[in-house]
Amino acid sequence: MNTVIETRDLVRRFGEIVAVDGINLSVSEGQVFGFLGPNGAGKSTAIRMLTTLLHPTSGEVYVSGFNVVTEAAAVRRLIGVALQDAAIDPLMTANELIRLQAVLHGITRSEAKKRGGELLERVGLSGAASRRVSTFSGGMRRRLDLALSLIHEPRILFLDEPTTGLDPTSREALWNEVKRLNTELGTTVFLTTQYLEEADQLAHEIAIIDAGRIARQGIPKELKENISSPTLRVDIEEVDRARAQIVLDSFGERRPAREGRLAVGLDGGATRLAEVVRAFDEAGISVEHLELDAPSLDDVFAEATGRRLEGVGEENE
Amino acid sequence: MNTQVSLKNVNGVSLSVAMAVCRRGILRVVSRPTLLLPIIFMPVIMLISFTGAFGSLTRIEGYGSENIYDWMAPYVALQGSVFAGVFGSASTAEDFETGFFDRLLLTPGSRSSILLGTVMVSAIRSLFPTLGVVIVALLGGLNLSGGLPAILFLFVASALMASVFCLFSLAIVYRFKTIRSLMIVQLVAFTSFFMTIGQVPIEFMTGWLHQVARFNPITNVLRFARQGFLEGITWEVTWPGLIVFAAANAVGAVLAFQSLRRIGS
Repeated sequence: MNTVIETRDLVRRFGEIVAVDGINLSVSEGQVFGFLGPNGAGKSTAIRMLTTLLHPTSGEVYVSGFNVVTEAAAVRRLIGVALQDAAIDPLMTANELIRLQAVLHGITRSEAKKRGGELLERVGLSGAASRRVSTFSGGMRRRLDLALSLIHEPRILFLDEPTTGLDPTSREALWNEVKRLNTELGTTVFLTTQYLEEADQLAHEIAIIDAGRIARQGIPKELKENISSPTLRVDIEEVDRARAQIVLDSFGERRPAREGRLAVGLDGGATRLAEVVRAFDEAGISVEHLELDAPSLDDVFAEATGRRLEGVGEENE
Repeated sequence: MNTQVSLKNVNGVSLSVAMAVCRRGILRVVSRPTLLLPIIFMPVIMLISFTGAFGSLTRIEGYGSENIYDWMAPYVALQGSVFAGVFGSASTAEDFETGFFDRLLLTPGSRSSILLGTVMVSAIRSLFPTLGVVIVALLGGLNLSGGLPAILFLFVASALMASVFCLFSLAIVYRFKTIRSLMIVQLVAFTSFFMTIGQVPIEFMTGWLHQVARFNPITNVLRFARQGFLEGITWEVTWPGLIVFAAANAVGAVLAFQSLRRIGS
């Protein structure tokens, strides 16, 4: 498959701060590529460089073979972009925004009307097409933003945290549309997210970014398989926690866990679970809660960075 | 899946994009007409207060008219146009703050089209305060010795003045991306306006103020806008005004375009 997005030693500094620190990415045509990382990891800075909105401090970016700095106009013709804060003028109606977006991309009035109607229908906004955007919910704005980014039928779609702040129903609707675009139209999708589930659901390949650097890159299934052992998470009363840690240390390497919880990679997997329970019993330690999870992207992230992805605890609970 | 392209390009500027940006600006005003109130009321209030306070001044020889409205109306109309120009760039600052400007930057066409569209909106907006001033001045007894051409000259001057200040403001907004940065432009605009023949003829001024007003380019602009209200339109007064407008718009356009090109670097 052709490579449609390629970065070479991409760096972006803001004064002393290095937001993106030498990343190398390669995205194949027709893929959904997940760019996963916590807040402040450099995802949005990277996507702004890929979409010509920000110049790299050093390094190179090519989109469909065009350099994003020297051939920016050619890149902009090929890409659709929905940025993090649904950049929509609240004083305009969905129809007006569609028309504006169409003109910006050189689409004729009649074609814009046809495509705009189809797109609004597809994202479920036909009934709200003449309403001002200020009356839209967060989910409606996101769907309109997606429709706007598709008006010129881009071959590559960039979505910056498209579901942040959305309710589960809106989130799922957006996921379905992304899947449809990818499978039915063959659109390459570059998606940044801080949600593990989103990356797991949508992405054929992911890159994990942390502190501006790529920590891991690959196919989610393979990345998870490379984590040798499942994670054992144990909740224990604070008075016993130090002794419990000593017990757990004999079963595997410590893994990052949220506050008040202990976690290890359980060597030997589920077959050793009974042994762990016996060891706690023999030590006179009372266990409040115990769970064994198959390796997840969170484990991949934790293994790569030494900490859990922000918000994971809240997401799972 | 190729996009059908129908951009009409003139020297790299897509007129359709500029028109679309302009249309959006007008739509915003139509959907929120209260936005126009400050730029209409400010010059109207100034006109009423100046003519009320200095109504007898024109009895002194040198004003070119015995009617204070003839003297003050073009002055406050141009000040209103400055407001309209700065206001246009304030909308751009708002677009930066909401992220909407990114959408415009992602257009494959020339970025100068965005600049042109924004200036067009400001020029159109400037016609509202000028119209308000003319109506109030007519109600107050404006003589208007130059007739309709005088009004036309005033509207042209207002639109060109708005575009000058819109361009200079945009040069700053494109760089700092906040509405607060426009304080600098407002300060410069009002300071430079007061150091002109706005309130009294140049013969009445003394000392450094006389010298500043003499060389202040806005003095020529005021003469250009005011001529039809006082003694009739002449080429001798028209060309210096046109040169100032042309030069200021050219410098403003270069500065604004340079700032626009630097966005993202």
